[in-house]
Amino acid sequence: MIERGRSLYSRIILVIGAIFGAGTIALGAAAWFYARIAADDAYDRLLVGAAFQIAESIYAQEGIVSVDPPVSAFETLSLSSSDRIFYKVLDPSGSVLTGYEDLASVQPPVAAEEPMISDGVYKGFPVRIAVVGRHIFDPTASGWANVIVAQTREARTSLARDLTVKALLLVLAMTGLAFIGVLFAIRRALEPLARIERELQSRDPKDLNPLDLETPREIQALVSTINRFMDRLAGRIALMQRFIADAAHQIRTPLAGLASQVDLLSQEVRPERREQQLERVRERTSELGRLTNQLLSHAMVIHRAEVANFEPVELVALARQTLMSAVPLALDRDVDISFEEPPDPVFIFGDAVSIREALSNLIHNALKHGADTRLEVRVLADQDAAVIEVIDDGPGIPASEWQRVREPFHTKSSTGSGLGLAIAGDVVRAHGGEFRFRERSDDGFAVILRFKRVHGPAEPPRADETS
Amino acid sequence: MTSLALALLPLSRNQLSSLIPSHFRRRTGSTSPRNALAHRAEKWTRFSAPNDAPLEEESIGWIPKVESTFGSDALALRVAAILLAAGVTITTAEAAETTRFPAMQHENVILSVHAATDQAAMEPLIRDFQALSPNVTVEYTEYLTNELFIQATAVCEGKQESMDLVLSSSVDHLVKLVNDGCAARYRSPTTLRMPSWTRWRDEVFGFTFEPAVIVFNKDLVPPEDVRRTRAELIDLLRSKPETYQGKIGTYDVSQSGIGYLFASYDARGTTVFGRLLEALGRAQVVTSCCTTDLLSDLSAGRLAIGYNLIGSYAIGAVRRGAPLRVVIPRDYTVVLSRAAFVPRMAREAATGFRFLDYLLSARGQQKSREASFYFSADLAVPEEVDGPMWLSSSGLLRPIAIGPELLAVQDRAKRERLLAEWRRSTSSGANSP
Repeated sequence: MIERGRSLYSRIILVIGAIFGAGTIALGAAAWFYARIAADDAYDRLLVGAAFQIAESIYAQEGIVSVDPPVSAFETLSLSSSDRIFYKVLDPSGSVLTGYEDLASVQPPVAAEEPMISDGVYKGFPVRIAVVGRHIFDPTASGWANVIVAQTREARTSLARDLTVKALLLVLAMTGLAFIGVLFAIRRALEPLARIERELQSRDPKDLNPLDLETPREIQALVSTINRFMDRLAGRIALMQRFIADAAHQIRTPLAGLASQVDLLSQEVRPERREQQLERVRERTSELGRLTNQLLSHAMVIHRAEVANFEPVELVALARQTLMSAVPLALDRDVDISFEEPPDPVFIFGDAVSIREALSNLIHNALKHGADTRLEVRVLADQDAAVIEVIDDGPGIPASEWQRVREPFHTKSSTGSGLGLAIAGDVVRAHGGEFRFRERSDDGFAVILRFKRVHGPAEPPRADETS
Repeated sequence: MTSLALALLPLSRNQLSSLIPSHFRRRTGSTSPRNALAHRAEKWTRFSAPNDAPLEEESIGWIPKVESTFGSDALALRVAAILLAAGVTITTAEAAETTRFPAMQHENVILSVHAATDQAAMEPLIRDFQALSPNVTVEYTEYLTNELFIQATAVCEGKQESMDLVLSSSVDHLVKLVNDGCAARYRSPTTLRMPSWTRWRDEVFGFTFEPAVIVFNKDLVPPEDVRRTRAELIDLLRSKPETYQGKIGTYDVSQSGIGYLFASYDARGTTVFGRLLEALGRAQVVTSCCTTDLLSDLSAGRLAIGYNLIGSYAIGAVRRGAPLRVVIPRDYTVVLSRAAFVPRMAREAATGFRFLDYLLSARGQQKSREASFYFSADLAVPEEVDGPMWLSSSGLLRPIAIGPELLAVQDRAKRERLLAEWRRSTSSGANSP
């Protein structure tokens, strides 16, 4: 059961949406910040202008400082039509000439023409305050007179809001466009996945050919993994089909023979002939048993080649034990059985169960078809190879047959299934080793299993000697 | 004497108790007792007890227009004598007079309107409003402009009981109050349709259109002496000093808010203002606190020329039969839009806004034009007026825009300067032969 995760599409959109959202908020905040500065800048000019106009109207006469705030100053301020205006004029001694007495006073009085602008609160309204100084030249009342003009922030705020809203609209429009673009891009990017899905869906269930699609680099690994998987599946299915066909054929023949033997037995009346017939039935039955065992063992080997975990295997002990258990207690002839081993343990990386099965099949084969007087199992090792040789002094297999006998059910003998060599071959192939024959010589005929040896501290051998 | 006794007869004790002290107090600051009496006598005021059981419609007494031929002392003594006889304790009531217009149906709301506007002018509007909102009782308190300003400032600072609507012809006062954050904001389809010069901040709204006019007494000023610009008026005063000596009147700018407002608009950028002041001074101008006083003096022939009077009141006097000629100055015309706002602390703000909306509505404007203020920005000037047919398109208009520019008018230093100039001119003129 596939766990149903959130769709790739929605995940990407979520992330992109979050980024765009955060970006929009950040841009909005920045826009508000700059819009406020811009609005303050614009309206500060009016404020300072009005303050200067009032300051211009301050004059001294006979030691008395007076002021006559011009209407134009108020008209200038009323350009921001809805804002409240507060002001105050201080003479050089600091006393209020006109205006709101309690309006924020400056400490110390501004002694420069340069306007001073600040934020403040008056009568509970947030205001922008401008202070300008004007130097009074008079023998008795010389000094700096100050004009303080404050204006509420409504026009500024509404201008800033206006600017921000417009900037935000632009940002939103851009973000919207980008988002739509991203949506299309993601759809396009995920298109190959949909193509693979369509391709797989529309396929015949029996079609296990590799996918032949043009795919972007990012999902080539996925496609090739799918292809490898299908390849293995196809291989296994082919193997199983062949095995089932072969096994059916192999079992049918001896069963038919057995049936006819039993028929004969039931019609036979002579006791000595009966005994003879019965012996034949017993032989056929045991042959059938052996065949079945071999078929199962072959199936097991094939299966294990696919699924077994490879572990370090000590080859010498494994070979010795297999030899001991494979040689029957009673043989119909005298056979000299020997085991030859190297001084050190030899490790390979593999599946002990299938190697044992392969070796025991070889030993059985040798005893049954080969060895006249001698059977020898040798374990050899060189720098990077571990080798098991099974040698007998029988007639051997002619070189012309070597290729054929590696396939299952090759034999023509009436008692053998011809599976033993095929099993060994399969096992060695699954281990990435070599399965070879050596022509009959003085030494005898040899079947050679060659594995890749592992040694050294990097791969500490863990012997599997118990099983 | 008889007429006064008759006039006072329908008044109850409580009504008198509220009338008398206020009457005295209002006069104490007045420079001219004669004017004060004239004002009292001229005014058409209905008195009622603010806190007593509301008077029945029929029992409301009216003081008819009294030909004021006796001095104020005589009246005061007379009234005091009546009061003493009635055993009235004189309470220190507030300076203004409150009139109650009871709801036409079951009373739900009491709307307290505080105004510096003739009650006679406002009454038709209040009645018409009550026809639309029959459950509203209106308590109308009338002040002089400067008093209203002081009271409204106190209300704004939370020192006094709330008002629901503040209404004044001294729009500079209202703008100052609004600037100081005393008003509540109001927007309605009606207010949004208003021209921009008659509203500010959606808080204060001008609902009338009243030109400042020159009024001539037809009996005393022959048609050939009627002047239509300020320069011509100055020439007239120069050429016929003996005829018009002491016969020209205008507001006392130190007492009348509207007079100061008009004067400051005259002073704004017109070179003629200095010469006008000088001419007025030389002609020994008579100053008064109130339009009604000036109009009654003009009607009675004590004055021949009135300068800078509120046009609507002048038309009102003409329609009541006064022999007056109302001239709209042709050099420029200052136009006032009487304004109102609802204070932030108003208890019945919603009703206040409703009344405001009524004043600004088509119906209220029409009523105002027919019964109270006669002029309109969109229509022809009343036929009694000597002036251009269409004021708004005449190019003479100098509207007093309701906005922060009026703060300049309210500036203390500016005010002192104008008042000083005013006093210098008028007193020097008075001294000169």
